[in-house]
Parts: sequence; structure tokens; C-alpha cells
Amino acid sequence: MKELLKLNHLFYRYKGTLALGSLFLVLSNLFLIWIPVLIRQTMDRIEQIAGQRHLTFERAGEVLFSAEAGTLLALNTAYLVGAALLYGVLLFGTRQTIIVASRKIEYDLRNKIYNHLQKLPRSFFDRNKSGDIYTRATEDVVRVREYFGPAFMYTVNTISRTTLIVAIMFMVNARLTAWALLPLPFLAVMAYWVSRYINRRSAEIQQQYALMAGKLQETYGSIRLVKAYNRQEYEKERFFRESARYRRKKLRLDVVEALFHPMLLFLIGISVVLVVWQGGVMVMEGAVTVGNIAEFVIYVNYLTWPVASLGYTLNLLQRSAASNSRIQKLLAVPPETGAEPDTSPPRFEKELVFENVTFTYPGAAQPALKNISMRIRPGERVGVVGRTGSGKTTLVQLIPRLYDPQEGCIRIDGKDIRDYNLSQLRAMIGFVPQDNFLFSDTIGENIGFGKEDATEEEIIKVAEKAEVLENILDFEKKFDTILGERGITLSGGQKQRTSIARALIRKPSVLILDDSLSAVDTRTEDAIIRHLDRDLGNYSMFLICHRLSSLKHVDTIYVLDDAGIVEHGTHGELLERNGFYANMYRKQQLEEELEHI
Amino acid sequence: MTSTASEKRSQKPEQSAAGKAVDTYLIRRLYFFLKPYKWHLGLALVLTLLIAFLGPLRPYLTQVAVDDYISRRDPAGLGRLMLLYLGILMTETLLLIANTYLLRWIGQGALLQMRNTVFEKIQDLHVQFFDRNPIGKLITRTTSDIEALSELLSSGVINIIGDLFRIFFIIAFMFSMSWELSLASLSVLPLLVYATFWFKARVRVAFLNVRDQISRLHSFIQEHIGGISIVQLFGREAHEARKFKSINRDHTGAHIKTIFYFALFWPAVEVIASLAMALVIWYGGAQALSGQVTFGVLLAFIQYVRQFFLPIRDLSEKFNTLQSALASSERIFGLIDTENRVVDPQKPVYPRKKEGHVIFEEVSFRYNSNENDVLKNIHFEMKPGEIVAVVGATGAGKTTLINLLTRFYDVNSGQIKLDGVDIRQMSQHYLRSYFGLVLQDNMLFSGSIMDNITLGNDHIKRDEVHRAAELVHADRFIRKLPGGYMHRVTERGASLSMGQRQLICFVRALVYDPLILILDEATSNVDPDTEYYVGRALDTLMKGRTSLVIAHRLSTIQHADKILVMHKGRIRETGTHRELIRQKEGIYRRLYDLQYRDQVQPA
Repeated sequence: MKELLKLNHLFYRYKGTLALGSLFLVLSNLFLIWIPVLIRQTMDRIEQIAGQRHLTFERAGEVLFSAEAGTLLALNTAYLVGAALLYGVLLFGTRQTIIVASRKIEYDLRNKIYNHLQKLPRSFFDRNKSGDIYTRATEDVVRVREYFGPAFMYTVNTISRTTLIVAIMFMVNARLTAWALLPLPFLAVMAYWVSRYINRRSAEIQQQYALMAGKLQETYGSIRLVKAYNRQEYEKERFFRESARYRRKKLRLDVVEALFHPMLLFLIGISVVLVVWQGGVMVMEGAVTVGNIAEFVIYVNYLTWPVASLGYTLNLLQRSAASNSRIQKLLAVPPETGAEPDTSPPRFEKELVFENVTFTYPGAAQPALKNISMRIRPGERVGVVGRTGSGKTTLVQLIPRLYDPQEGCIRIDGKDIRDYNLSQLRAMIGFVPQDNFLFSDTIGENIGFGKEDATEEEIIKVAEKAEVLENILDFEKKFDTILGERGITLSGGQKQRTSIARALIRKPSVLILDDSLSAVDTRTEDAIIRHLDRDLGNYSMFLICHRLSSLKHVDTIYVLDDAGIVEHGTHGELLERNGFYANMYRKQQLEEELEHI
Repeated sequence: MTSTASEKRSQKPEQSAAGKAVDTYLIRRLYFFLKPYKWHLGLALVLTLLIAFLGPLRPYLTQVAVDDYISRRDPAGLGRLMLLYLGILMTETLLLIANTYLLRWIGQGALLQMRNTVFEKIQDLHVQFFDRNPIGKLITRTTSDIEALSELLSSGVINIIGDLFRIFFIIAFMFSMSWELSLASLSVLPLLVYATFWFKARVRVAFLNVRDQISRLHSFIQEHIGGISIVQLFGREAHEARKFKSINRDHTGAHIKTIFYFALFWPAVEVIASLAMALVIWYGGAQALSGQVTFGVLLAFIQYVRQFFLPIRDLSEKFNTLQSALASSERIFGLIDTENRVVDPQKPVYPRKKEGHVIFEEVSFRYNSNENDVLKNIHFEMKPGEIVAVVGATGAGKTTLINLLTRFYDVNSGQIKLDGVDIRQMSQHYLRSYFGLVLQDNMLFSGSIMDNITLGNDHIKRDEVHRAAELVHADRFIRKLPGGYMHRVTERGASLSMGQRQLICFVRALVYDPLILILDEATSNVDPDTEYYVGRALDTLMKGRTSLVIAHRLSTIQHADKILVMHKGRIRETGTHRELIRQKEGIYRRLYDLQYRDQVQPA
């Protein structure tokens, strides 16, 4: 619970609004309570007037237009309507202030979380399940909002309304008040117990639900095996068992839910019985009037929800606290570090050097890269080849510091890359990752993503260089075509080329293509490489590639195996050496031959 | 070039006469699942009516209390009446509890039945259906879509009837006391109805917008957690933060809009209720003074006007859930109606002798009618006990052979004969009792190792499993696991190595003792320790069985009685390893150089 106090600074910004809302809420309760008071006063007056024998009316209409009684009724009714209207307006004001403020606090908190996430290092995202991170920024924030919104509002409401009503009830008659309030503590306790039970059972049901879905995933996912071994009956039994268990758990919750509402009605009913019964006796004694009974019956009704919400609010607070502590833990993760930015943005002018770089993924037993040393000049074209898992991707990911090596260092122009400002370092690099991640946005936005304020001409130019322009112009909406779930799905090759365009628009000093041409046909690939070559001199290029024929023209090829460099040289040199590379090359030629049979 | 992704709005489908017809059709089909409970439903209806009556009875009793006992100063009578009130209250409470639970119980029963029906239907569907529909979608149909019917099946219709009756009884009681006062206090009703409709219409639109904004926000977050590296690599943190802020703002704005409507509606309902009360006081007060009504009636009316508001407010709510539940049921029935493409024949034929003799006769197959054939005129024979290895590049059609032989798919032309019978004329159960299948992924189920081996087949005895495990050298490592054969496999076998999982799959195939072994060898290397055992296990497994193997291991092709060289959907070469390797320009020779030669270990 203490964790929630940490959030009070978020509260602070809206303290004025929240104070105003609380004031509205208290005032609205004041007017609400005026309604039963008016009803009582009217009924009491009617009784008095009826007691005065000389006034006898034949019809209701006569009364309404009579001087004394008519005025009284009209006046009191007017008051009543006025009170109701004021109550309504104030209640409107309360919701518009407190609940709205809680939404704004939610907005602030979510911005804060998102901004923090963007600063976290890659290793954080490797370590944590993306589903969990997602929950922090979505569900947990919603839970925390409930602390500021509903929980706060209900608390103020319960306190103010209960105080006011109980005070006025006592002023009327202490004994009758005691009778009327008798069942209410039970109500509060029951509400607390029930909502706690519901939360717990719901968690259980969620679990069973997940279990059931897991079972389905298994059966549907390996349907071939199930069918091949004639196991449908068995799988059916297993699923039916989970399914039945789910029903049982649901019903256990249903029992409580089936109890809750009726019990609530019951306790309020008891309150009404006590009021009418004991009130009735007191009327006979002359201690109270029938108007008082009417008044009390309404009070009791007014108290139902605030009292029941007490238990609900407590549970709400507990849940908010749990969510909040998870959020606080996330916010405590230290962001990525780098040096202060240089005044003039650095450029890659002399050399990029790997010095005995060794890197092991956190938690891995074997290093992903061992003792890597290499030297790259500006304008040099470097090919990196090797089997899956040999460390190619890891190698290029070290350059923009997605990971930092444990041993050795990487220098650009003599300066350790860790001493560069992180965004200035990355500004020198154009990275085309293997997964070709594109956002569900327009193609234009995706290409322009590489550069702040990219112009239309620039976007068109790089699209052309990446050989994707024609495809884009074929789309009905050209560069405004939306990708992803809500839009169209690009083919693998189109994605790769879009992703290359996105890197090119940065005019990078170092261009990294991590297996980015695999889904592109050979002719297009040649064209892209030709375009890249023409611009060369402007940047160095790392080309990770499976199709070895594309590497014929690069300056140096590094062959990785088992986390280390086993060979390097030009295509010709490596063939001559007749080693690892030459063997790979021969196999690819065989594959190609087979293709053409 | 700004994002226009959010501009798309879900559009409300037009309600038409045809739509209504669909609704009644769906309700009829849903009723099928409630039918076993029709007597329970009848009971629930009776209880609902009783409750609808008892509720409004209570204010009436307070009227009697005031008029007949309090004003006549009869404490004993008042006591008796209040005991009666208490009795009625308790009865009402108990009935309400019983009825709520009864309805939930009925609902859960129907949901269970429905869930199981959907599961059975999906499981029995042809394999191609699973290839075409993402598993996530199938899971949704079996779980959350059915969950969405929960409310409709458990309380939906009955509660609507209950609400209607409650309104009826309240009005009846009111009119029996004073029709004039009833009319006066009910005169606010049009106002309430108008407010409710106004609110529902606004809030519906607002809610749709909220739902859009939530999904927009959520997909942005999800996407940016996945693509965080891109944002960081391209230094676009500030830009994306601005974008997030604007989406976040729209999201908050959408919520604030609904808050506005709620902030307007709830107080409005309260005000209208108070207005009704004011009318009771005004007109009722006058009537009391002219002696037409008593104080007790005033007290009762004050309670009635409050009671009256609830069911009216709820009714519109319930119609909404009904509508959305019908949408879910439409999807579910759509699935239940899916035609099964691979079905058993009316009169299954059984071969005279079960020996495992397979003939593919001019088989051609395509996955989709608008695509090219993946298999073209495949013709070959597997004699009982023969080991046939299939080799070829990726996409040559090797796996499709397996899919056809096991009848996961049906051939487009030609036929496959098993012991002289076209496999389409056998029952699927009988056909598949021939096979032991070991697939590349070596998937395990969650459960014990024992369960994974027997797959729940009670006819397989424990010592048979042990013996089989010993034969393929799996026994040793299984016994070392915590719990041995009862060791629980977690998350698809992640705790076991690839090789170990493969051995378990071998044991499974072995205990089923199939006539025909179908094996898709794993491409990736298993750890060297297990590698040796895997080789030995395979020999044991294939001995004396007709075996169809998609070969990735050198020793497999060397030992095969016949190798089928597949290329682009056709069998291009056939023969033994020795025969085929001699053809220097052949496809096999090149495949051998490409895939198998490296496996030759220097002696």
C-alpha cells in the first residue's frame, strides 16, 4: 500500500481539480439529503394541516389551488426539484473533475512509462517477456488509475454521505438511527469479503482458462500427430476434463455472485423492516412522525451503495498497489548510457576497428563472438558469411551498441564507441535488420522513419535506389499505402527493400545489411548492389549474406564459424584457399544447378 | 504523410429484415444447447415470476403497516405484519439466490456442451483446415467466443422477461392503490425513456470510439515493444514519443467523452427519480389532504418510484449484450457448419490381409485449385518390409507424400492403395492404425513422459514401454530424469534436448508397433552424444517394417532398399544408393554432394 504513496506526485499536479471535485461531491450529498428532509417536512405539515379540522377538501385539485396548503405543497415541491437539480449538477461536476483528472493522470503515467521504455537497453527486452512489458504499459496503468479515480471518489463519497446522513438521522432520533444502521456493518464486511473472494476466484478461473487454451494449442498445433496415432478420443477426453474443470470453477464463483446481490437486498430490507417496525412503535409513542419513517427509508437506500463500495474500494486499492509496485520496478530499471553529445556531429573518417572483441549473451554458456579483430576503412565493402548461429548478426549488432562486448572494444577513428553519444553514434549507421521490422504505418512514413523531416523527393530517391519505387507506385495509394494489420501485407522481398530504403535515407557512414536480400530475386539484388556501389565512397558497407555469388564484388569477406573468424580475403582469394568458403560456394552452385534441372 | 490508420472506423452493419431472420435462426440453434435444461428453465421462469411479484409486494406491506396499524396504534398487529414482511423478504432473498444460481448453472452447462461440441468438430476437421486457419483463431472460437455467450445463455432472456414482469407488477400495485397518483408519478416516464435512449445512442458511439482508441493504443505499444530496436537504431525516440503522446491523448480524450455522457446520464436519472418523488409529494400531498390517499400510500409510492427505475434502465443494457452475443454465436455456428473434406466412406472396405503394401498410382496433388501441382504423376510401390528413402531439395514435395499416405489430404487424381484397397475406401481410424509417424519437430505434449509415449492408450503396458525404451537406448536417460517415466514434460518438451525428444518419439512409434513407419528425419544436428543412439534406434525402428523415410542422414540412404529422388514434384530417379551414385550427372549425385557427403566421418 505504501507504494501508492509514491504516486502522490502525479496526484499533485491535479490537486486543485481534485479538491474542487471533492467539494462538489460533498455539496452534492448535502443537496441529496435535503430531498428526504423536504419530504418529511411536507408530510409533517400535511399531517398538521389535516389535523386542523376547519380545512376540508373534496378533491386534490382544490388543495393545489388553496391558499395555505397549496402554497406549501408548491413551495416544498419547488424546493425538492431545486435540490434534485443542484444535486444532479454537482454530481455532474464531480465526475467531470475527479474522473477526468484520473484519466489525465493515467495519460501522464503512461507517457512516462513509454518514454522510459524507449531508453532501456536491448538486454532488458531480451530478459523480459514482451507480454509482461506490454502489461505494464496497459493493464497495470489502468489499475493504477482506479486508485486515483473510482477509489478516491468512492472514498470521499462514502465518508461525506455517511457522515451527513448519520448526523441528520441522529438529529431526528438516535434510537431509530441505531435500528436503521444495525445491518450496515454486515453489509460493509460482506462486500469486502465477496469482492476479495471474487478477485481470487477470478484469478483461478483465468488460470484454468489459460490451461484450457494451452491444451487447445497443443491439440490443434499437432493435429497431424493426433490423427496419425488415432488419438482423437484421448485428446477429447483430456479437453473435456479441462473444460469441465473450468465449468466447476466458474460455478464456484457463481455461487458467490449469486449470493451477493440478494444478500445486499436482504440487508437493506432488514433495515427497512426495522425502521418501519420500530419507527411505527415510536410514532404510536409520539416520538417520531410517519414523515420520519419515509425519510429514514430513503436514507437507508442512499447508504446502500456507499457502504457496499467500502469493501469494493479496499480491494481496488490492493490491486492498484500491486500494479503500481510492478510499474515502479520497471521505472527503476536504469536507462542506456552514452557520453554527452559532441557539438559537431562526429563522422566516420579513418577506420572502424574491432579489437579482440568477445561477447557472450547474458545467461549463455558459450560466447557468441570470440576474439574478433578486424579493420574497416571508409568506403570499404565487407562481406560476412557463415552458418546459422555462427555469430554474424551479433557481430554487426555490436556496432550500433545494441549490445556491448564484455572484452575488447570497437573504435571508430580511434575513439571507443562507448565514448560517443549514443544517438550521435547511431546517426552514423544505417541498419537493415534481418527481421525487416516495419511499422503499421504508411510506406512513406516507414521509409522516412530513417530521417527527421524527410522530404518527399528524398523518400522517392531512396525508394528508387532500393528498387522498391515501382512496387510502391503500383499501389493505389502510392506512398500513402498503409502496411500491416490494417493495411496491406508486403511480400518478403518488398519488405526487405523498404527496409533498405529506410536505412539509405539516413545517408549513413556505415551501412549494415543483415541478410537483407534473401527474399529478393538475383536480378533485383544485382541492381540494388549496383546502386549502392555507385554511392560508395560515401559509406562503408557490411553485407551479411547467404547467397555467396553476391559477394563477388566486395573488398573483404570474413568467414565466421563457431563464434570466430576462420578465413578472410576476397572472393577469389578464398576460393583459391579451398577452405570453408570454397566448400560453401560449391554447394551453392550445386543448389543452383539443381534449380535449373 | 501522416498516419491515417486510425481513420478507419468500424461500421455498424445495417439492420434489415434479413438480419432479423438470421437472429431468430441463431436463437433456434442456440436453444438446441439449452434443450436438455428445458425443465430447469421452466422452473427458473416460475421463480423469476415469483420474485418479480414479491419485490413490489414489500412497499405495499409498508403501506398496510402505516395505514392499518401505526395510525390505529396497534403495536402487536404491526409486529405481526413486520414478521410477515421479514418472511417475505427472506423468501424473496432465497428465491433470488436459488434462481440466480440455477440460471448460471444452466448457462454453464450449455456453455460446456457448446465448447466440447466445437472442440470435437474442429479436431475432426481435415488437416488442410488447420493449415488455412491460424491456431489462435481456432482457440478463440473454442474459448472466448463461447465465453461471450455466457450472459445470453445463463440469464439473458429469462431476466428480460423478469424485468418486464416486475414493471408490470409495480404498475399493478400502484394502480390498485391510486390510479391518479400512479398517473402523476409515471408522467416522468417519457422523460426517463427519452434520456435512456439519448444516452444509449451517444454512449454506443462513444464506446465504439473508446474501443478503437484502446486497440490503437495497444497495438502501438505492442508494435513498439517489438520494434524498439528500430526506434533506437534510427534515433527516433523523440519522434515516436510525440506520436505515442498523440495516440495516448486521443485515447484519454475518448474516455473523457464517455465520462461526460455518464456524468450527464447518472445524475439525470437521479434527478428524474427525484422529480417523480416530487410529484408524489405534490399531488399525493394534495390527495392526502383531500382524503383520497393515506400516508401509507405516499410511503409506498416513494418506494415504488425508486424500484421502478431499475428494470427500465437494465432492460436497454440487456438488449445490448444480447446483440453482441448473437454476433459471437454466428461465428461459432459458422465453424460448426464447416464441411469436412476428408470423410470416412459409407461402407468401409477392409483389406484381406494387413501387411503394409503401399502403391502410389499416378498420384497428382495440389494444395489449392488455383495453384500448380506440387506432386505430378507420382508412381511407386513399397513392398512389405521395404525401406524407402525419399530425397530432394526443399519444396520438392517430400512432405506432401506423407500427407497423402496418411490421408491428411486427399489426392486430386490417381490413387493410393494399401494392401490392395484405395485408402479413401477405408475408415480413417483403420487406415491410420497402420502407421507410426515421427515428425521433424518431435513435438511433445505437456504431461508425463509415459503419457507422451502411450498417448493415453491403455492397451500399452508399462513393461512394453520400458522394453521399447531400452531398445532405442532411451531408457537410460529417462530413468535419470526426476520422476523417471512420470517426469512431467513442460512447455512442449523445452526441458529436454532435441535428441532426447527424438528418442521419446521413437519409443512412441515403437510401442505402437506399426506395420508402416513414416519418418521425417530431423535436419538439424542432434548433440553428438545422442547422435550415436539415434542412429542405432533408427535401425531398430525400421527393422521388419515397411518404412517411408524422408532422409536427412547418410546412413539412412545407404541402407534404404529404394531411394526416390524427388525434384519439383516428380520422381526423377529411383534406385539404391549404389546405383544412383554412379550417375555422375544425375540429380541424386548432386544432392548427395550437397546434403550427405559431409556426414562421412573420417574413420
